Amino acid sequence: MGSTEAAYHVLNILREAAGKCSEGFPHFIQIAIPLMIQARPTSIVMVNLTRNFLEEFIRLAKERGVDEAVGNVPKIISGIIERVEMVKECVATLGSRRITDGDVVLTHSYSSTILELFKKAYDRGIKFSVYITESRPIGEGKIAAAKISKLGIDTTLIVDSAVRFVMKRISKVFVSADAVAANGAVVNKVGTSAIALAAKEARVRLYVTAGTYKMGLETVFGELIEGVVLSDANLIIPKDRISELAGKVLVRAPLFDVTPPEYIDAIITEVGLIAPQAVPLLIKEVYGWPPKVPSIESLISEVRSL
Amino acid sequence: MTEFNINTLPREVRKIREDIRTMIIRGAGRIARAGAKALAIAAEEYRGNNVEDFISYMKEVAEYVKSARPTAVSLPNAISYVMTRLLRASPGSVEEAKQIVVSAAEEFIEYSKNAVKVIAELGAKRIENGDVIMTHCHSTAAVSVIVEAHNQGKVSKVYVKETRPKMQGLITAKALADAGLDVILIPDSSVRYFMKRVNKVVVGADTIAANGAVINKIGTSLVALAAKEARVRLYVAAETYKFSPQTVIGELVPIEVRDPREIVEDEWLKANPQVKVYNPVFDVTPPEYIDAIITEKGIIPPQAAILILMEEYGLSISDVLSREQVEFKYEELRE
Repeated sequence: MGSTEAAYHVLNILREAAGKCSEGFPHFIQIAIPLMIQARPTSIVMVNLTRNFLEEFIRLAKERGVDEAVGNVPKIISGIIERVEMVKECVATLGSRRITDGDVVLTHSYSSTILELFKKAYDRGIKFSVYITESRPIGEGKIAAAKISKLGIDTTLIVDSAVRFVMKRISKVFVSADAVAANGAVVNKVGTSAIALAAKEARVRLYVTAGTYKMGLETVFGELIEGVVLSDANLIIPKDRISELAGKVLVRAPLFDVTPPEYIDAIITEVGLIAPQAVPLLIKEVYGWPPKVPSIESLISEVRSL
Repeated sequence: MTEFNINTLPREVRKIREDIRTMIIRGAGRIARAGAKALAIAAEEYRGNNVEDFISYMKEVAEYVKSARPTAVSLPNAISYVMTRLLRASPGSVEEAKQIVVSAAEEFIEYSKNAVKVIAELGAKRIENGDVIMTHCHSTAAVSVIVEAHNQGKVSKVYVKETRPKMQGLITAKALADAGLDVILIPDSSVRYFMKRVNKVVVGADTIAANGAVINKIGTSLVALAAKEARVRLYVAAETYKFSPQTVIGELVPIEVRDPREIVEDEWLKANPQVKVYNPVFDVTPPEYIDAIITEKGIIPPQAAILILMEEYGLSISDVLSREQVEFKYEELRE
């Protein structure tokens, strides 16, 4: 699941809870939100969208009372999702303009924005082909490969290890982001940083698609973005070979890695293409500087005192 | 002279070739030893008493065995180790000729096994106390180096890459764990993520070219790039019969591309007929990303690969050109 989809999932849970039990909703928020954010600590999107939700919910509760605010939860959430969808659409449009005739594009993992970007370029009649990695562990690259090929685009699947081998024939790399830190570093599915390194070595340009809702505002104040590392042997070892290795070896499968800004040519946002190092400027434009971002904890305690 | 017919070859010879072709016998060292063994068996089982016939029969067998894996240089090198000894001698009888083939094959097999031991000893000297090592794919030579260093109490732990598509990392992981090492199995995509925690990378080689470029399992060059970026030293453990004499005369090492079904299942391919699945098996690591190549003849910088080739395969390009395997190559080129 992409980071945006995961955040939508949280919003949908909130929407359902508000519908089912309107009286207990403020209490539900206090317990459920911190738990859901903990489940995916890299997800800046989840933090940012939840923050948007809480801010609007509190504003409404103060203006018109808690009951009416709870009644308006579906509307608040639809509004947030609509705005994000518009952002994604805009990012895909801007990004698709960077694909030109004859391009051989490499991508990694699964991203609905990247898929949309390819579709837009293809629909404009641009002739290009796509290489995509399996994106192990999980292997969501195979799902993306199937979808891209069904758009009619010439699609080639490779193993993650083959990225340097094919890089010479690649003209541009497009990847998405789970989060973007204040210094322009990009957190994305593990393997992204090795691709970026191979692209740099081969002087192939690398673009990252990321709406401003993926900017880690807390990172401005020194917060690090935490990664998830799984240790389930089944993620790597095929079923029929588990027994020969069980108990003998440890398995470590990080899901995310960090690509340094110097390996990124541009971040494509809904307000335009920027150099990764210009992320603070963008944050200033959108949120002010230093960004006025109430923490989730402070918003939740505000809910408590409503 | 009787017509050469593959079907009349000893069953065991055909089985060895088939096992090399289907990767049941895998790993450059094992392939080389199996190839030498196949020649010995073919010679022993030969029925006939004309020396000329025997020699042309052996040439055919040599070509047949060699064709099992087009890219594994250790195989033609092993074969030519045996064949040059046969061709250089002028045996008076078939019995004598058979004896030359059998003892040359035995000599090669013995040499090959011993080479790995020497590589382990030399390589272990390059490992320092507390080192965290990363390795890729399965290489007997690389594993021997790591195990020897571990026996000397130097290795802290080893990160082993899964090595898709055929998951040879699992073989390495098991071998190292059985030897008592702490093994951490990681996905290939996380190579750069973990590189910061690694002190040394030790990998094997399939083929080493005249300029010191190392052809090895796909992903090796990405490991090397990530190691270079993190200033982690990278060693290649390789017997001298993995150096390719053909590259001296400008031949490129062909990169084998294998079946998509090694990556995805048949059903997936059928469900997604528009997706091409590209499965190159090897990649080329440039010499500037390699700190040293550990051979049984000593530790050399990759750029000195030509030294090994000159020592092992005669002295000049004309010598290399006159070698039989190259003549065969040229015939292929003319076709």
